Amino acid sequence: MKKLMQFLFLSCLKATELIEKKLHVQLSFKEKIRLKMHKSMCNACRRYDEQSKILDKALKKQTHKIGNINIEELKIDIKNKISTTHE
Amino acid sequence: MQSNYNQINDWVNNYTEELFTWTMYRVSDTENAKDILQDTFLAVAKSIDKFNEKSNPKTWIFSILNNKISDYYRKKYRQDTKIDLDILSTFFSKDEEWNSAKEPQNWQDNEKNLLDDLEFIEILNYCLEHLPNKFNTVIKMKYYSDKEPKEICQELKISTTNMWQMMHRAKLKLRDCIETGWFKNN
Repeated sequence: MKKLMQFLFLSCLKATELIEKKLHVQLSFKEKIRLKMHKSMCNACRRYDEQSKILDKALKKQTHKIGNINIEELKIDIKNKISTTHE
Repeated sequence: MQSNYNQINDWVNNYTEELFTWTMYRVSDTENAKDILQDTFLAVAKSIDKFNEKSNPKTWIFSILNNKISDYYRKKYRQDTKIDLDILSTFFSKDEEWNSAKEPQNWQDNEKNLLDDLEFIEILNYCLEHLPNKFNTVIKMKYYSDKEPKEICQELKISTTNMWQMMHRAKLKLRDCIETGWFKNN
């Protein structure tokens, strides 16, 4: 019985670790079962799971702002830098 | 030498915009992106004699740029040598249960609303920029550079396990910062 319990139950720390791992790689069968069991009993980790997915999507969705930079100025800066370094 | 000089000037004129866009995409920080690009062109000027006329200059310059970007990440990652990797104890008790003060709260809003909420995204960015360098670097490499986890590990010279653990801690901190900045003040 003790072995079965150990097999099935995860701590919150381990559960959140698997929640993160799951976003990037496939979990093993054992990991999936244990995470599912844990989430069915733990409100906080269930929330963590939902919120972690939201953060994952928000990060993926990030637009990569180019910022207000003047490309022509940057070209001049680079050219100046090259000529001062190489003459 | 004059011809080399003209050659580089042409490349600067023709490729700066594209190279800069790519650099911003990878590092999302204007000042650092400018520095990286300048370094790249200095490296180009230095090694132009090694450039094979028959190859494509753009490909060549991009490969130099990508090396510079990797250097940048590696350096940034190494900066926090003293970072407290034991942040887990802030979040979890000795028996690895949530500390009650850090337990995730109900965000009271659905996913779609949050993803479209500019203020939420702004706080996310703020929190991301205020993470310790190590965490900020793994997150940016993962989400901004389209790199496979394996490549990230190679570039940062860390093990896969080390990377998951870093991601886990980074997300714990990021989530906590957002919750404090947004939900608890609303």
